[in-house]
Amino acid sequence: MAGKIKRHSIIEILEHWILAISGIILIFTGLGCLPLFKRYYIAEIPGLAWTGDFNTVTTVHYIASIFFVMAVSFHIFYHGIRGEFGLLPKRGDFGQSIKVLSAMFGIGEEPPSDKYLPEQRLAYVGMGIVIVVITLTGIIKVLKNLEWIVLSPNVESINTVIHTLSGFVFMIAFVIHVGIVICFKSNWPLLKSMFTGWIDEDYVKQRHSLWYKKIKNEISEMEK
Amino acid sequence: MKLTRRGFFVLSSAILSSIILKDKSHATSGKYATLIDITRCDGCSNEPLPKCVLACRVQNKVRFPEPKKPIIPYWPRKTYEDWSDKKEKIDTLTPYNWIFVQKLQIKGKEIFIPRRCMHCDNPPCVRGCPFGALTKRPAGNSVINEKICFGGAKCRDVCPWFIPQRQAGVGIYLHLLPKFAGGGVMYKCDLCKDKIEKGEEPACVVACKDRLKEKSVFLFGERKTIYELARQRAKDEGLFIYGDKQNGGTSTLYLSKVSFDDINKALIEKRERFKMPVEVKNKIQTTFNPIGKVVISSGFLSIIGAVVAAIISKHKEKGGDENGR
Repeated sequence: MAGKIKRHSIIEILEHWILAISGIILIFTGLGCLPLFKRYYIAEIPGLAWTGDFNTVTTVHYIASIFFVMAVSFHIFYHGIRGEFGLLPKRGDFGQSIKVLSAMFGIGEEPPSDKYLPEQRLAYVGMGIVIVVITLTGIIKVLKNLEWIVLSPNVESINTVIHTLSGFVFMIAFVIHVGIVICFKSNWPLLKSMFTGWIDEDYVKQRHSLWYKKIKNEISEMEK
Repeated sequence: MKLTRRGFFVLSSAILSSIILKDKSHATSGKYATLIDITRCDGCSNEPLPKCVLACRVQNKVRFPEPKKPIIPYWPRKTYEDWSDKKEKIDTLTPYNWIFVQKLQIKGKEIFIPRRCMHCDNPPCVRGCPFGALTKRPAGNSVINEKICFGGAKCRDVCPWFIPQRQAGVGIYLHLLPKFAGGGVMYKCDLCKDKIEKGEEPACVVACKDRLKEKSVFLFGERKTIYELARQRAKDEGLFIYGDKQNGGTSTLYLSKVSFDDINKALIEKRERFKMPVEVKNKIQTTFNPIGKVVISSGFLSIIGAVVAAIISKHKEKGGDENGR
């Protein structure tokens, strides 16, 4: 594709959107598992009466978790085995992230970046830890309900609290992630690439100059 | 002492199992059960109030809520649940009355049914509490931790018998966002948790035994013994059992000469808050667990798929590189 560079494979796009859509459903139904929707009249909105019924909300939560667990497990094993660790933080990412975020607000210049921005790498690890905690505690809840494992009362309580609290952290991280993408015009091409897999060469040249250099080097190596 | 890698794994597994699988033999169904023989209950008609109710109130008085007033309504609603002015009410379950006796007239006969938490084997209240405030104890009793209960009343909504009762103006929610989240603390029978942990019987059982001796309505003991006794008596005397199958099984069995279908019909006719439906499905077992199995198996399949896809794609890339050279 002329003037475009491949940024995401179809597998990465699918992983991202399966996680995103199931994540939204899990956040919504997770809030529904708290006694909130009836109290706050959500269940009285036409079409949302089901949100007032804990059994229905939990059923939907369970169904969405099938896709969430699948996406998380696939992501860890597929990229782990392929040795794709470009999204893991590097030394100096914290300082660089501050510069990137400042630049989004028009303060200073954005430092040259690799395929991923330093703040994306930090956010990935943060989000990743929360997702792993939420997934593991959720799986423990499922196994415990199936009585495939038997937990002592205190361990069961602690696991439940961790699942609920990490759910809140996930929701906040999710809102920040979406907010940063939508609110800053400089990030819009990244959003587009999450649908198409491709990104403008000019954009890469300007914002991901380190990555651009690597691509050009690879091409010249191949031509040799 | 040198710890080998194998030794380390064995030791870790042993420690982990002791934490997780604590008292496994009794953790699901529970060690004890109660038999409530309503063929023997007369509602303590010659007493000022039923002995079981009185004993429960005396035993648990120190744990009854002392709400902070004025109580803030559950915003955006204008309501709140306050029983503190009805502490003496004994004809229903309240945060101040964890057992009560229902009185029914069926086919000209008077029936008295002591009602309290059934202590389910797989309790939806325990499994559903988002704050882990409820626990199922190895003894078989489900217990509310009033220190971490937010009073959202989800436990009452998911309970087939709507047993837990809420008192506003008390609990941890007052220290966070009392106007916007939480609603107090939930209260219900916990089978006198401190007493049964010491090997004693719950207060209601002791009080009934004191009054009726060997004809006591309540019998508390090893679950297996209670279940066997209830089934034997049901067979020998043509009685009906309630609580063995309902909601997937409970630690409370009722014995009655009148069928529980008839009892439930009478409760519905009388517009009682607390009914005794015979068909009570445990949603965890019938709905959530089948999906849970799909969650676990699809997770495993996904891992296998990821491993295969990664190996194939790496192999292809390697082949491509070699061809390119």
